[in-house]
Amino acid sequence: MSDWISTFPGYKNLLSASKKIIGKIISTGSVPSHVGIIMDGNRRYAKSHKIEIKEGHNLGFETMANILELLYESGVKVTTVYAFSIENFKRSSFEVQWLMDLAKSKFNQINQHGFLCEEYGVKIKIIGNLKMLPDDVLVVLKETEEITKNNTRAVLNVCFPYTSRDEITTSIKNVVEETMRNPTIEINENLIESNLYTKDNPPVELLIRTSGTYRLSDFMLWQAVSPNCKIVFINQLWPNFKPWDMIKILINFAFEKYWYANENSKFVNTYYDSEDETITSDNEYTMTKAI
Amino acid sequence: MIKSPKIIEDVRINNDIDVELKNITKEANIIDQKIDEPPIKGPPSTNRNINIFYIIMELIHNFLKSSFGNDKPVETTSILQLIIYYFNHLILLQLFFVIAIYKNIQFIYRKIYLKYLTLTSYPNKSPSVIRQDVVKLSKIPKVLSCLLDLKDDDDENGGKDGLINDICELTAWSISSSIERLIIYEYSGLLSQSYDSLIDLRKYIKKNLGLYFGTDAIPTFSIKIPQKNLIIYSNESKEVDIQIDLISRIDGKPTLVELTKTMSELALTKELALKDITIDLIDEELMELVGPEPDLLISFAPSLNLEDYPPWHIRLTEIYWEPDNKDVNYAVFIRALQQFSNCKINIGK
Repeated sequence: MSDWISTFPGYKNLLSASKKIIGKIISTGSVPSHVGIIMDGNRRYAKSHKIEIKEGHNLGFETMANILELLYESGVKVTTVYAFSIENFKRSSFEVQWLMDLAKSKFNQINQHGFLCEEYGVKIKIIGNLKMLPDDVLVVLKETEEITKNNTRAVLNVCFPYTSRDEITTSIKNVVEETMRNPTIEINENLIESNLYTKDNPPVELLIRTSGTYRLSDFMLWQAVSPNCKIVFINQLWPNFKPWDMIKILINFAFEKYWYANENSKFVNTYYDSEDETITSDNEYTMTKAI
Repeated sequence: MIKSPKIIEDVRINNDIDVELKNITKEANIIDQKIDEPPIKGPPSTNRNINIFYIIMELIHNFLKSSFGNDKPVETTSILQLIIYYFNHLILLQLFFVIAIYKNIQFIYRKIYLKYLTLTSYPNKSPSVIRQDVVKLSKIPKVLSCLLDLKDDDDENGGKDGLINDICELTAWSISSSIERLIIYEYSGLLSQSYDSLIDLRKYIKKNLGLYFGTDAIPTFSIKIPQKNLIIYSNESKEVDIQIDLISRIDGKPTLVELTKTMSELALTKELALKDITIDLIDEELMELVGPEPDLLISFAPSLNLEDYPPWHIRLTEIYWEPDNKDVNYAVFIRALQQFSNCKINIGK
């Protein structure tokens, strides 16, 4: 059905135009400033549709471009995608090689044609344990970072290769190194947080995992446990994840923020002018209960 | 290479905790009294008061207010942009209105469905009923973690007593489904504040297990508070059927901070080299300081919110929660186990 419609002329334009309009509407509400996505299910999709695994990864990349377009139209500042886990090196060397080649070719494409980066002013950052990557891939990735470094409208963090435990360990290491230079520094949660890979970005407010798996699989653990982060599990495989699904998640997010924020702010305004956040939030808690 | 117990000891000394695992079973056997504790608030946003009429009234109110008033700052300059902005915002608000109605219907549907499930799968305080449910499952978690919300004292099953009651039930269900370790996460750590609440907890768990298994064959258990490095056994023997861990927010990020502090102290005195700080070392220390990684986490909160659960420990944990459910009930518990038995973990593959 949808294949048949997509053969009409102007379908693509219509699609991106409606994305723009919907994005505008969503952007008037509250939008998560930082979205994390675990793009899971490319291989299962390939298997169930009897296509080659590398085709599946290719489709996954297209979906990503599609979704990112919508996110940036809606005013999301930072998106972090889980492209490759350190654990993925355990896959067959054949597939690892293929993924590396895919990354290389796609980033080459970005370097030459701009992709979303020029249109939306996206700054690409590669985060993760870069030492584990082969040199030729690293060169291409560094080039992409270099080309897009002056873009300011939005940021795309590509986790490649990444695990959260590695991130936390690296952060702890950096903190320890810092204290060796300057023993007077006070170590606290903020210091560790400011040494994570996502240090320059706003806190993660929405985390999406596709393919009906209810696990975080070593992605942004530190960031995801924060009470301000909403976690969404989706049953579709990643190549099946359509902008429409993303719209639903974003509107839902805005609705919840709108509703609960209004409920809380009312009491803050009426009863408290305190600037101490913890006190107000505690009071809000009791006040909302009181009704 | 440094021996790892050294780090653990240092972390514990820094926190004014005994280095040796302290067994307070005997002391607890002597003391048996109750002291009132000041209540500690749960994290914000764990509590929801949803009432359909209230919501609709408020929505209409807010809708009118924000479509005619300027409650949202707009950084646009030209009038045309302003009009477009408000037009778009109006559409969004209308959408919210529809969503609010839909959500309330969904809320009621879910409540009814949960009631239905609770009725159909009532364990009837009999381990054999639970056993029958569990036998059908292909695998069960070894380590189960439950995220509990502290409810208000005035609520049904709320406050400290409600929490104790929930833990008692969970313990009985876990033993019946032969889970070896139960980790209870409660944000404020209310129960781990004093010996007395621990003693109370032990007393009530014993009582409840008696109802399930009969008073002559009460299974043995131990309750551990990793943060204080305390353990209490149900009786003199140290062979237990289930170990219960009580953890709270402090066992999460603050423990990682403590670990970092200790490591940097050791690094300053050259007892620990920078290159020795690896994932494995941190993992080992945290497993000792906090406990094992749970296989399954059941959140008994109405929406999925991890509430500062120890981040290191939920790497591969299967997460289960029932939307709009506020109570600890058996239907949710058994559905979580069912989901777990269907999941397949393949790291990286």
